[in-house]
Amino acid sequence: MIRHIFKLIWNKKSSNFLMLLEIFLSFIVLFVSLSFVIYNYRLLNKPLGFESQDRWMVYLNDMSELDSLSRGQLKETLELELEQMDRIQQIAFGNYAAPFSGNNSISGDDSGGFLIRSKLATVDINFAETMDLQVTSGRFFDDRDYANPNYEPVIVNQFFMDKYFPEKNMIDSIIVFSGDKQIIGVIEGYRYNGEFTEEEPMMLQLGHPRDNNLGVMYIDLQPGTTAAYEEAVNKKIADIVQDESFIILNLEDQRKQNSRSTWIPIIALISICTFLCINVALGLFGILWYNINKRKGEIGLRRALGAHTTDITKQFILEIIFLTALAVILGIVFAIQVPLLKLGPLEPINLYYAIALSAAIILIIVTVCALHPSWQASKIHPAIALHDD
Amino acid sequence: MIQLENIHKVYRTKTIETTALNNINIHIKKGEFVSIMGPSGCGKSTLLNVMGLLDEPTSGKVIVADQEVANYNSKATAAFRNQTLGFIFQSFHLIPDLSVIDNVELPLLYRKVNAKQRKALAIQALESVGLKNRTGHFPNQLSGGQKQRVAIARAIVGQPDILLADEPTGNLDSVMGNEVMDILLQLNQTLNTTIVMVTHDENMAKKTHRLLRIYDGSQVA
Ligand SMILES: Nc1ncnc2c1ncn2[C@@H]1O[C@H](COP(=O)(O)OP(=O)(O)O)[C@@H](O)[C@H]1O
Ligand SMILES: [Mg+2]
Repeated sequence: MIRHIFKLIWNKKSSNFLMLLEIFLSFIVLFVSLSFVIYNYRLLNKPLGFESQDRWMVYLNDMSELDSLSRGQLKETLELELEQMDRIQQIAFGNYAAPFSGNNSISGDDSGGFLIRSKLATVDINFAETMDLQVTSGRFFDDRDYANPNYEPVIVNQFFMDKYFPEKNMIDSIIVFSGDKQIIGVIEGYRYNGEFTEEEPMMLQLGHPRDNNLGVMYIDLQPGTTAAYEEAVNKKIADIVQDESFIILNLEDQRKQNSRSTWIPIIALISICTFLCINVALGLFGILWYNINKRKGEIGLRRALGAHTTDITKQFILEIIFLTALAVILGIVFAIQVPLLKLGPLEPINLYYAIALSAAIILIIVTVCALHPSWQASKIHPAIALHDD
Repeated sequence: MIQLENIHKVYRTKTIETTALNNINIHIKKGEFVSIMGPSGCGKSTLLNVMGLLDEPTSGKVIVADQEVANYNSKATAAFRNQTLGFIFQSFHLIPDLSVIDNVELPLLYRKVNAKQRKALAIQALESVGLKNRTGHFPNQLSGGQKQRVAIARAIVGQPDILLADEPTGNLDSVMGNEVMDILLQLNQTLNTTIVMVTHDENMAKKTHRLLRIYDGSQVA
């Protein structure tokens, strides 16, 4: 039976060609679209490395006019007074390389024998707790680190370790990167540019709240704190700094807003794919009905020659599935070149997922579309199908 | 071989009710070659379809090869049709996308015969209708007479006991028609195949053992 169906498909190659082409092209479009969708979906599912829920970020007013002593006092007062408030759990400070800000500081150095490139951010000792960073080995900054150690202490992310010092325990080791630095801890990750960005080598440096560049304040609030509470916080800060030019941002809102620019093309791509699938389904339906009407005589004849209704259904479904499988295999042969030849910007794993998903989607659509017409075909009464005149 | 008792067949559509067969009683013995004649629309094809278990009578009893049909849609009936009956149609009903030999192999496909044996039997059947050298052709490359001979090869490849032919020469000129008729006569004589043939041609009917005349759904002779 299987050979028979291949023969039928082969002998109708000219009329099957267009359908083959349509399925093949649909597969390619699905593959390309889904590659990007899957790439972004996988990014979305990776942890950000920090918490944005119930976190506020305050861009403080410019304090560069103040001397470092009074600046330090002002920030200390901010920290103490705010932590007194009922819904505030903790305060931390950092520089302007802040989450979702778009500000980045990048540095490279090859004096250690190979090039190390890393993003940099400066934070104070409360940053890990306030933002819920996960320290996987070593420790985070603490008071000891302010006491002028021999080497500048730094924290790096796991990605930094995997990229530059794989399979080595570097805790407390000194590396050469814009001077000697001592790695005192490793954090799981810190994708502060947003959930649709890749993890990159990241290094945290220690700053003191009194430093002029630590102009961003982070607030960890009790779960469920509403926007209404902002007014009280706003008033408190204004009272202390005697200035109205600071801005309070909700980190969760920032996260959503930051993702929106990526969600739009993803939704557009998914819509294109859906539209394409509906189109393919309708096209297939049309072709199948046409085929079955044209082949009524054949159906009646096969029944007369001893085919059972299930044989007819099976034949029509298998014909369309084999044809689809052929188109999909052809599509896979083309698509697989992208990861094999390392074409394009995406990691191969995304492409393999996209190939598998595209193939599955097309085979499912085709099978579902083929079921009803093929079943209807078997219902055609042989005596009527064979009626001459 | 074929026994029809009190067969009625009524076609009901929304607007009209057509009595295609009205109290038909026929008994055809093994090895008989019977022809059926009658004006167009009198129910000949319906009668043949009933004999071929392709159509269920409204009432009456159908016994073919000593078996009474229980369920027209069962696998057993499909298999029985495949084993016992061969069909030949006025318009040939060859599958245009299959070569001559693949068309002839069709009945064996529903019988789980292996590919090699199918091919051998199909060639043998084509040889017996004089088309051994046309196996790779497609139906549209054949003349009407050749097409009908392919259809006969297909009908006999499974060696059925009964052949049902609905105006097999209706679309053929007299030369080709006679060729086809000669093949049927020979099958009947050498293999003792029971044949029921609908025809409009008195000369062809005369060559058969027995002639049944139908008029308006009833048997008149
Ligand atoms: N499927 C059907 N539905 C309704 N009427 C039918 C159907 N098939 C045949 N008939 C009617 O039954 C009668 C006998 O038809 P048929 O057996 O094809 O006649 P013949 O083969 O003798 O020309 C005709 O009146 C025809 O119109
Ligand atoms: Mg007729």
